[in-house]
Amino acid sequence: MRFVVTKPSAGAGAAGKARLGALYLGGGGAAPPIETPALVVPTRRGLPSFISRDLLDRLPYPDSLLLHLSPIHFIECPSTRTIKNIGGVHEMVGLQDHFFIASPGDSVESLPEHGGTNKIGAAFETPSGRRLINPKDYMDIISSTRPNLWASIADEVPAWVTEKRNRLSIDRTLKWLDDCLSLDQEKGASTLGAVVGGPNIEHRKKMCN
Amino acid sequence: MALQFEVVGRFNRARASKLTLPHYVVQTPMFMPVGTQGTIKGLTNSQLEDIGCQIILGNTYHLALRPGAELIDELGGLHKFMNWKRGLLTDSGGFQMVSLLHLADITEEGVTFQSPVDGKPMLLTPEESIQIQNKIGADIIMALDDVVRTTITGPRIEEAMYRTLRWMDRCIAAHKRPDAQNLFGIVQGGLDPVLRDICVRGLVERNLPGYAIGGLAGGEDKDSFWRVVAQCTAALPEDKPRYVMGVGYPLDIVVCSALGADMYDCVYPTRTARFGTALVPEGVLKLKHNAMASDERPIDSTCSCMVCKNYTRAYIHSLVTRDAMGSQLLSYHNLSYMMRLSKDLHMSIVEGRFPEYVRGFLRTQFPKGDVPQWVCNAMEVAGIDISSCCAPVPV
Repeated sequence: MRFVVTKPSAGAGAAGKARLGALYLGGGGAAPPIETPALVVPTRRGLPSFISRDLLDRLPYPDSLLLHLSPIHFIECPSTRTIKNIGGVHEMVGLQDHFFIASPGDSVESLPEHGGTNKIGAAFETPSGRRLINPKDYMDIISSTRPNLWASIADEVPAWVTEKRNRLSIDRTLKWLDDCLSLDQEKGASTLGAVVGGPNIEHRKKMCN
Repeated sequence: MALQFEVVGRFNRARASKLTLPHYVVQTPMFMPVGTQGTIKGLTNSQLEDIGCQIILGNTYHLALRPGAELIDELGGLHKFMNWKRGLLTDSGGFQMVSLLHLADITEEGVTFQSPVDGKPMLLTPEESIQIQNKIGADIIMALDDVVRTTITGPRIEEAMYRTLRWMDRCIAAHKRPDAQNLFGIVQGGLDPVLRDICVRGLVERNLPGYAIGGLAGGEDKDSFWRVVAQCTAALPEDKPRYVMGVGYPLDIVVCSALGADMYDCVYPTRTARFGTALVPEGVLKLKHNAMASDERPIDSTCSCMVCKNYTRAYIHSLVTRDAMGSQLLSYHNLSYMMRLSKDLHMSIVEGRFPEYVRGFLRTQFPKGDVPQWVCNAMEVAGIDISSCCAPVPV
């Protein structure tokens, strides 16, 4: 995968402002680059809701190639072993040419729940109740599903938490990133680090560094 | 009459045909999925075309409730409303008398329903049913019949049969579009062969474009079921299509086709899909079972549908109890299976190998040779030797 800024922000003080880009998915496919900003299509267990693979082909191309994957959806089943045997998420859902970007939370079935998060792992509200996931369990799912890109788990907290809690979320997130990278067979080649820090811009900047 | 019926192959009572309708040319034997409110749950029109669906069913009662016949008519008919270019058939609303009996009151005038939408009374007369169906605009429309469950005995069955004939005349008189829509009559009479015979004769006298065998698939024993079908198909005209309503299970379709029926409809394939059950040549596969959680095979290794070519049982299992997508994919597969069954029946008759097809079907479904006795009885009447499929009776 390769990302290129095609039109940076213009003028003085333009760093950090809107820009246009091109995302080359690579992987030997002939897909043209996806223009960014781009929408990542949400999925449930790898498939967009109500859109099977034959219908997905009819959506605008190549933008519909970008799919979001929540590894939390696979906590119960299929097992990581079964997913691995099938060949990962691309094979499992019949979308071999698509580009999966994995991050734990989504807006429907896997909602971060900071009240249940502790030093062991991050908590998420799911249809089957609250689930706590640690870096090892998370990376088991990542290594079996094999998304094209994946974000590490983060201690996401709302903006109104105390400064102490905010700093704790930063420390945990960085630790979990290290834990995930140590378990990653690709040593972070496909990893997206998660930036937390609440409304504190300085915390966010430090975390980016 | 707005259809042409051409028999293109036979084996004894079984026949394969080419049925030309205003919107589509179909091949029979044929299964018609049920799209009660103008849509097959979980599938798009393009998917239905991909799997070879020829005719879809709509229902007068449900469509009249929502969205309403006037609206459908104003928007150009149901074909245009649901953007379906192939065949459509509408049922009269008669079956709702049985299935929604707690809401219905049947008199000579018609059927008064209590609307489940707003509780208001809704009178469905033969004239009203045909008017609604004229507005919906399906290729085949059904007469309003007085439907009685076959599990009921007594004079009610005879009353219903004669009323069905009287309502048939009212339907014919009310039908304003005979050049564009084919009004089928429905044979009633319960399980009584005398009543069935009277009804068949009465309908045949009226020279309709096609005939349906109604009042079955409602809990009667299988031996009674096939005998009624056999009696009716033997008496109905050779040159008109025969439609067994509410059937059904693949085995029932194979038997009825052997006995000379052409068309079938049932909610079973899509309904059972929504409960996590797939149709396979061996019978059924329950995807909810724990054993499916690690099964990396497709639902059916002999099936070439989109679902079987791309998804494993394990993945479908993870969906069926948790996500609507599971129902959607299973509905797709189950309807593909039914379309393949229809095509196989048609081609096996045309190609002169229908008995071999039937034997292969039965061997796959009953590998131990435990073919039900009613099937054996029916096949004997159909003139198909299935002795090689049946285990020898112990002495």
